[in-house]
Amino acid sequence: MSSTAMINGDDDLMEPTLQSILDQKTLRWIFVGGKGGVGKTTTSCALAIQLAKARKSVLLISTDPAHNLSDAFNQKFGKDARLIEGFTNLSAMEIDPNGSIQDVLAAGGEGVDEAMAGMGGMGNMMQDLAFSIPGVDEAMSFAEVLKQVKSMSYEVIIFDTAPTGHTLRFLQFPTVLEKALAKLSQLSQQFGPMLNSIIGARGGLPNGQNLDEMLSKMESLRETISEVNTQFKDADLTTFVCICIPEFLSLYETERMIQELSNYEIDTHSIVVNQLLFPKAGSDCQQCNARRKMQKKYLDQIEELYEDFNVVRMPLLVEEVRGKEKLEKFSEMLVQTYQPPQ
Amino acid sequence: MPSLLLIVFVLQLVIHLINSFGANALNNWIWTLYNKGPTPTAKAYKEQVRLRREVVKLRTQMNATSSQDEFAKWAKLRRAHDKTLAEYEKISSSLNASKASFDSTFTFGRYACTNGLRLVLQFWYAKQPMYWIPQGWLPSYVEWILSFPRAPRGSVSIQIWGIACASIIQMLHTALTAGIALVIGKNGKNGKNGKNGKAQPQKVPVPAASSTELPKGEEGESKKQS
Repeated sequence: MSSTAMINGDDDLMEPTLQSILDQKTLRWIFVGGKGGVGKTTTSCALAIQLAKARKSVLLISTDPAHNLSDAFNQKFGKDARLIEGFTNLSAMEIDPNGSIQDVLAAGGEGVDEAMAGMGGMGNMMQDLAFSIPGVDEAMSFAEVLKQVKSMSYEVIIFDTAPTGHTLRFLQFPTVLEKALAKLSQLSQQFGPMLNSIIGARGGLPNGQNLDEMLSKMESLRETISEVNTQFKDADLTTFVCICIPEFLSLYETERMIQELSNYEIDTHSIVVNQLLFPKAGSDCQQCNARRKMQKKYLDQIEELYEDFNVVRMPLLVEEVRGKEKLEKFSEMLVQTYQPPQ
Repeated sequence: MPSLLLIVFVLQLVIHLINSFGANALNNWIWTLYNKGPTPTAKAYKEQVRLRREVVKLRTQMNATSSQDEFAKWAKLRRAHDKTLAEYEKISSSLNASKASFDSTFTFGRYACTNGLRLVLQFWYAKQPMYWIPQGWLPSYVEWILSFPRAPRGSVSIQIWGIACASIIQMLHTALTAGIALVIGKNGKNGKNGKNGKAQPQKVPVPAASSTELPKGEEGESKKQS
């Protein structure tokens, strides 16, 4: 699909579509997020469909513990990337943190070593704390990200993130982990020889692991993490699409999220406003008209506040957007502005 | 040269005043004065004051704007406020370091001038009698204490005189503050009594029925109106 030349009469005007994301060929990571119930999964699936038309291979990952990708496409997905029915280059993956940890515990033996090696020595600690730490979702999702970074088999990866709190913690994870590991490696360099003499006497760590081995694994993990961190902060490689509805709380949450993203230096320049009502002229539905009035108020505020963002308006449809066909129709509206029937 | 008795008394008074009015307050005041002159931290200090005013101004503006009705304006104010606050925090933390070192230097100087001077005087005039006690007035061991450590027997040494001054000043201070508190308390009571005459009925417990009737009635009326 050749990109159509967009001639803007006014250079400052940001077009109300996500075409710029489709046109930006260097993008590798796209995050789709927003406070619950605004249509994240629907929008991320729609965006994935549009991207699949413009790229060689696309992967859609859901990091939400309450998985909706299976619902959206009427197809069961798992922790291995699976091709979506009806598409040749679009795959989806649902990361279930509890599931993967249970698998790991059940397998024991070799499976454990492999999985632990994948997480670079942190796995032993996490095994004990697996069910108690709230951040285990983020850690598992992040382990998946690391694998993808190393393998680089997809041209672009879309993350359908969990509601806001989780999202930002997930993005914080690289920085936090990097600092923690940097500190640990510094300490290990300082105390390593001393610890070695103590541990050497005992014949190895309680887990039977070699201290040096664990430290070197941590070091390589830290390097991968800092690499991912750099990629996330690069505007050419990563972007965040904010989903919201024209209501006060969602708007407040979106503003908060955008400010936090700019603090983490993660690029964001697109907002998708979902569930817009377009009641027919002369309609006597009180609720529709009242809601439309309220939405119009917040839409004006959005236009004023986010002048340098691509603000896409998506209508509230009469039926649920589930299944391939409906999602494709919905995805068209991401690139062609929706014209309400008048 | 004024009498040594007077000098010691004044010195004790000054030390007491500084201790009671807070060394910290004095430090802050001197810090403000210090920054008015052409000193290296003066510029940063002015910037800090300016930023603080800016933050307060933005905060009042933000609170005055309704976030529901004018979200865009509120959000822009909030962004500006957060940015200014971050700048203020940064400059505050760097200034605090300078202030801490300035404080310690000034405290040292202050100590040298007050307590240090006191010690110097005590050592210099250790053997000098302050004044003589009439002979036979007090038993000999008391005389020995009063002349402690090095003044001649039968006189009061400078150290004892210093202690006496400090005690008297302390007692005067306590008496003064108690007196002022008493006066203020009396005036306050007098002022309240005038208003209390009308306020009294509210404090008298009223039967449950009449106390609940009124609010419910009002609520009902307002509901009807809306």
